[in-house]
This record gives sequence, C-alpha cells and structure tokens, in this order.
Amino acid sequence: MAALVALGLTSCSSSSSPSSSDEPARPTLPAGPKAAFQIPAPQPLGRTGTTRWASVDRRVGARATPGGELVAGLSPRTPEQTTNLVVVLGRAREFGGELWVRVRLPVLPNNSTGWVPRRALGGYHVVDTHLVIDRHRLTAVLFKGKRRVFSTRVGIGRAQSPTPPGRFYIRVKLTSYRSPFYGPLAFGTSARSAVLTDWPAGGFVGIHGTNEPGLLPGRVSHGCVRMENGAILRLGRLMPVGTPLTIE
Amino acid sequence: MRRRDDMHDGPELELQLAELDADDALAEGIESVWGDSRADFLAKAAVGSGALLAALAAPAAPALAKDKGKAKGKRQDRSILNYALLLEYLQADFYTEAERLKTLKNESARQARVVGAHERAHVKALKGVLGGDAIKRPSFNFHGVTERPQAFRRTAVALEDLSVAAYAGQGPRIQSRPYLVAALGILSVEARHASWIRRLAGKTPAASAFDEPRPKPEVIRLVQATHFVSTPRKRARTSSKRSPRYTG
Repeated sequence: MAALVALGLTSCSSSSSPSSSDEPARPTLPAGPKAAFQIPAPQPLGRTGTTRWASVDRRVGARATPGGELVAGLSPRTPEQTTNLVVVLGRAREFGGELWVRVRLPVLPNNSTGWVPRRALGGYHVVDTHLVIDRHRLTAVLFKGKRRVFSTRVGIGRAQSPTPPGRFYIRVKLTSYRSPFYGPLAFGTSARSAVLTDWPAGGFVGIHGTNEPGLLPGRVSHGCVRMENGAILRLGRLMPVGTPLTIE
Repeated sequence: MRRRDDMHDGPELELQLAELDADDALAEGIESVWGDSRADFLAKAAVGSGALLAALAAPAAPALAKDKGKAKGKRQDRSILNYALLLEYLQADFYTEAERLKTLKNESARQARVVGAHERAHVKALKGVLGGDAIKRPSFNFHGVTERPQAFRRTAVALEDLSVAAYAGQGPRIQSRPYLVAALGILSVEARHASWIRRLAGKTPAASAFDEPRPKPEVIRLVQATHFVSTPRKRARTSSKRSPRYTG
C-alpha cells in the first residue's frame, strides 16, 4: 500500500512539474480493461397500484378475523383443476405467533373476504392490471396502471340471472378447448351467480367469447360476460391471471 | 423434517453449513418463520438438489469459436453470470417485495428502497449481457420474511453476506478480464449493502479482516435451505385446456 501511495504521489508531482533529465524514468501502472457491461442507473419502483395474489398451497379455512370464526374453506385446486389463488388485501397481521393475511374469497355471498394463515399460501405475485365491467354501458375496460389499454362492448346477464356486482378477480385462463359456445378463450373469475347456485362446478361467472356475436352488446347471458372472439383473444394477451375485476 | 439417515450428506456438510452461517442469521431468520430449530435448518439444507440447481443447469450458449479453450472459457463465464443472475433475482425480489408491502420504516425502509433498486439494476445488466442465454426469473416465496421487519433484516444480512462470498468465490474463475472488471464492480457494491444492513441489524458492519470466498455448491445449498425458491411442483398453474363450465 505504501508503494502504491508513493507511486501515486510521484505520478501527481511528475504531471504538475516537468521531470528533471537526471531523474530515472519511473514505472507507471497501465490502465486496466474496461468493464464488459455497464450497470444501468437504479430505478425506483413505479408508483402505480399493484395487486398481490398468491396460490392456495394447502386446504385451509378462511376466518372472519385472525384465528376467529370460520367463514369458508379454500381448496388448493379450482374446479378446472388449476392452482387455486386468492387476491391478498392489505398488510399481514400477527396473531397467536402466526402471520395472517386477509384475502378475497371465491364464495357466496359475493364480495366475501376472510383471514388465512400466511403459511397456507404460496409466494406473492403482482399484477398492475384491473378489469372493469360496466353493466349499464355494457363495456369491459382493462387498465394497466392508470392507462386504459383495452375496451370492448359486452353481453351480460339477463334480469333473471344477472351478472353479480362487486369486487372479484381473474383466477383461471382456459384455452384450446372445443366449445364454440364459449369462443376461443375463457377466463374464470371468483364471481358466482347468486341465482344459478346448482350450476355445474358452482355457478362461477366467466368472461369468454361467443358463437353468437350478433347478440352483443346486450343483456343476453346467464351471468357470464361475453365479448366478440377477436376481443377475448386480445384480452387474453393483455390480462394476466390475478387481475382484479370490478363489476359495477 | 427428514430423518438424518434419509439425507444425502453427512455431518461434514452440516459442519460446512454451520461455518457458512457463522452469525446464525439465516438459521434464526428461518426459525422465526418456520419454527425450525438450528439443527432442523441445517438438516434441511443438506437435502438434495431442487429447482435452483435445475435453473443453474440451463445450457450455456453453443460455442461458435474454433478455439475450444476459448469456447470453454466463454461458456464458463456465461455460466458464472447466470449464477450471479440467480442470486440477483433472489435479492431483487426480496427487497422489492418488502418495499411493496411497506413492511419497513425509517432507515430500514430507505435501505430496502436503495438496495432493491441496485439489485434490480444488477438483474437488468446481467440479463442484458446474457441475452437469450439468461435463466428465467424463478418464482419466490419468502414465507412471510418480507412481512416481519426483524426477520427481514436478519435474512437480508445473510443474503448480502452470501452474495459477497459467492462473487468472491467466482471472481478468480472468470476468464474474460472485462467480465471480471464488471463483477468486481458489483462485488464491492454488495459488500457495501452487507455492511449497511449489518449495521441496521445491530451487527458489526465489517466483522472480520478477510472475507472467505464460497464455492457455488455451498452457496446453492444454503439458499435452498431457505425454501425461498419455489420448486416446479409448487409453481402456480393458472391455465388449462379444460372446457369451461361457467354460467354462460
């Protein structure tokens, strides 16, 4: 280290004054190689809102409060045999030496929430999309952050089988099935028909294409949200599972 | 908890891991979440390879250079960069999640915000230089560690110390000098992160006069012991080809 300091001092003095001809030439350190790549400037997290979701890793009871009364059971699988997932609301809370988180539940009555032990869930995933179905204007609009990235006209439930209002989430994406009635792609949501409770698989509300585009827009379905096949395919490219869904 | 005689490695490995986690930081961080004893932690750390090693086994770019030695050196460098990328993914997601969850306050929050931005910049740089050879971002489950300030700080100490040891372990193996220069630039920043979080966690910022480099298998085993990296079996499967059974 002392030698390096001496070398540095020598270098400084030689650059500030001409060297005397009777001084011996002093060695200088060659410049090192340049880095193969640069590290970009650190960027702060975006300020746009994000939604967290997590997989249900084990069968668990959701409770009204941490450790409180049971309100619903959660299974690790959806009726479509995909991973069941829940949207996580707010911050975790400690109770009885355990972390609990409040989640949105795919159960009736719609808009239910409950507390589950954190350890029953998988890792958090985040999305910055939000789908809004407007039952009065018969539209579906997808936001990415605050930016509107998709909109289309839709068909919704008839008066006797209405599309339920509330806050839900997208929990499954189905593709490559053979059922023209549902079009080429369908999203499963956490919303359930309050009327068709004996419907196969529990009467979940889907968002899907159609083989009767002439009926759109309108109040034509049993509760599902229908859109033209081109629109559902575009939505399929833009909207990840876990996206929050508002039906208003 | 697996029985001792079920494990692949014997007491020697436990000893190695005990030395690696000299501060008990990782073991205690895990204990606070899982309720495992230090012995449980060390035993779990000895359980065989999983997703992490599978990710690291991702093939490097096919060698185009005629010189086999050069080609091997290039492959080795890219493999080391992918290893670094995996550790950076882990750290970036760890800090980012804590920041999103607003778990931390005051100086700890500032540390997570600043360091998280650094780690994301490291990820971006490594992905950029690796291009199509870059390993994909694994899924992480921090099991609530990012939701408990004390557990977060203890685990951050362990991850930063590990990161420093991992970079130091690979530095001499890097064939390309420009890559080495870049890696050294990251290593010194990781060391600053380590001393910052050590101070916040109430530990001596520079605990010893010499940082022991750590070979990859030891680092990988220690990271696996955290269960932060989700195995493919536990990754959420959110799409299916099943026919919809929605209300229609």
